[in-house]
Amino acid sequence: MSSLRDLQRQFVEALFDESPDGRAGIEIYRNNLHEGFFKALALEFPVIQRLVGEDYFRQLARSFLHAHPSRAGDLHAIGAPFPDYLRGRFAGTQYAYLPDVAELEWAYEQASIAADAELFDVRSLACVRPDSYGELRFNLHPACYRVRSAYPILRIWQVNQPDADTDLAVDLSMGPDHIVTRRTERGVELVRVQHGDYRLLECFARNETLGEALSTLQRITPAFDLGAALRRLIALGMITNQGALP
Amino acid sequence: MSVARTPVDGSTSYSVAADLPLRAGIGLRAQHHSDLLRERPAVGWIEAHSENYFAAGGVQRRYLEQLRAIYPLSLHGVGLSLGSIDPLSQTHLQQLQHLVRQFAPMLLSEHLSWSSVDGRFTNDLLPLPYTEEALRHMAARVSHVQESLGRQILIENVSSYLQFPHSTLSEWEFLAELAHESGCGILLDVNNVYVNSQNHGFDPKTYLLSLPRAAVKEMHLAGHIARQVGNRQMLIDTHNQHVCEAVWDLYGFAVRLFGRVPTLIEWDADIPPLGVLVAEAQEADLRAEFNHVVAA
Repeated sequence: MSSLRDLQRQFVEALFDESPDGRAGIEIYRNNLHEGFFKALALEFPVIQRLVGEDYFRQLARSFLHAHPSRAGDLHAIGAPFPDYLRGRFAGTQYAYLPDVAELEWAYEQASIAADAELFDVRSLACVRPDSYGELRFNLHPACYRVRSAYPILRIWQVNQPDADTDLAVDLSMGPDHIVTRRTERGVELVRVQHGDYRLLECFARNETLGEALSTLQRITPAFDLGAALRRLIALGMITNQGALP
Repeated sequence: MSVARTPVDGSTSYSVAADLPLRAGIGLRAQHHSDLLRERPAVGWIEAHSENYFAAGGVQRRYLEQLRAIYPLSLHGVGLSLGSIDPLSQTHLQQLQHLVRQFAPMLLSEHLSWSSVDGRFTNDLLPLPYTEEALRHMAARVSHVQESLGRQILIENVSSYLQFPHSTLSEWEFLAELAHESGCGILLDVNNVYVNSQNHGFDPKTYLLSLPRAAVKEMHLAGHIARQVGNRQMLIDTHNQHVCEAVWDLYGFAVRLFGRVPTLIEWDADIPPLGVLVAEAQEADLRAEFNHVVAA
């Protein structure tokens, strides 16, 4: 085994070790590791930091670092396991909404970096024969992420924005929430959608045809109005043009 | 502008764009995107961290496209972990390739460092031991990246807070040899040379005098802080300050030695308003002009 490999393993081991190390250099690199990870995580989950406070968030980041260290040279990826990590810690407690809020923040992050795509043009439906509507497949815009929660996560997210009125209260019984991300010229928006619309997006995400989606939806909500739901989702820019037509 | 020397294996040589900006540039931070587009300050160029624009799409990437149309662009990587003994991340390299293809940066750089082993990343710029083994490894990796991207990259010296007893070469010998063996250029971070000279006790001018002059193709300037760590005073490369007088002096020495090469102000922690960076870049222009005249 090369000595370079040995040296690198010992070095990284020493940085991840939590017991005191007398060497000044190691302390500086450890501090870089902890602070760099904490700051990157705080950029991705600002609402979680606001909800639990900076000190506790710093502790969370430290234990999360050991459970899920960065696996890439691009720090932007570290947050992916964070919602589930929080679920493991807070499920069944009075803070059970935290993982769902984290999921919403991660969806927001992912939506902000997703690929650009052309929006669905309704006029392209004109050339489809009515008897083949059931065969249509609609593709979701790459920036369309979906999060649902038993808690009012959008309200929690909104009152914890930097410019929000800090006196606003949240009634945790105001859920459930079905939230979808969309991207506009200015950035990402979080949109609350109806339960049926949310389920329709899930059908499309599973690549179901319109016919399959309709029968799924009719089982869940017998009064579901497919045409109205489609128009809403297209107007919101959740559907792309690519590969939609049979 | 000189053309890079042919690597020792003789396979490829990499030339450098003909007209590099003489005026100092500034490091690009997302906080300044819209101010830069609106105010269009007279800085020579901008340098973006490659990894910040790996996204497939979205607002940040569009900002970079708009800024690219106004300013010459340099892409500066912080995450390739070139010195690591792990296999080079093909995903990372491909993302970099896409970015380079789209933005055609005038300069492209990475670090004389490593940040990961066994797949675990510290996302920091860790120093290598300066041994023959590390030199061969680093040179092979730099060559591989240059061949993959079809162009020369610049390698930047990093600040460090410890030295390895294993080292058989000095940092400057290592860097000079790396440039010689791989055909890479050198991104000379003047602040990092100064920080290391204070932390490890050497003459920073010896460092600069040992570098192959034609290989130095870019310089970085930044601020640092002093911190008491245990019983030692250490300089920490924080990029959250004005450039200090000692580093300005060393920059003057570097300009007299290497001539005027594209110089960048890096300020990426406690980020000030754009105007502060622009003023710092103008200060660099003044110092460079003065020292260039003195040298001539």
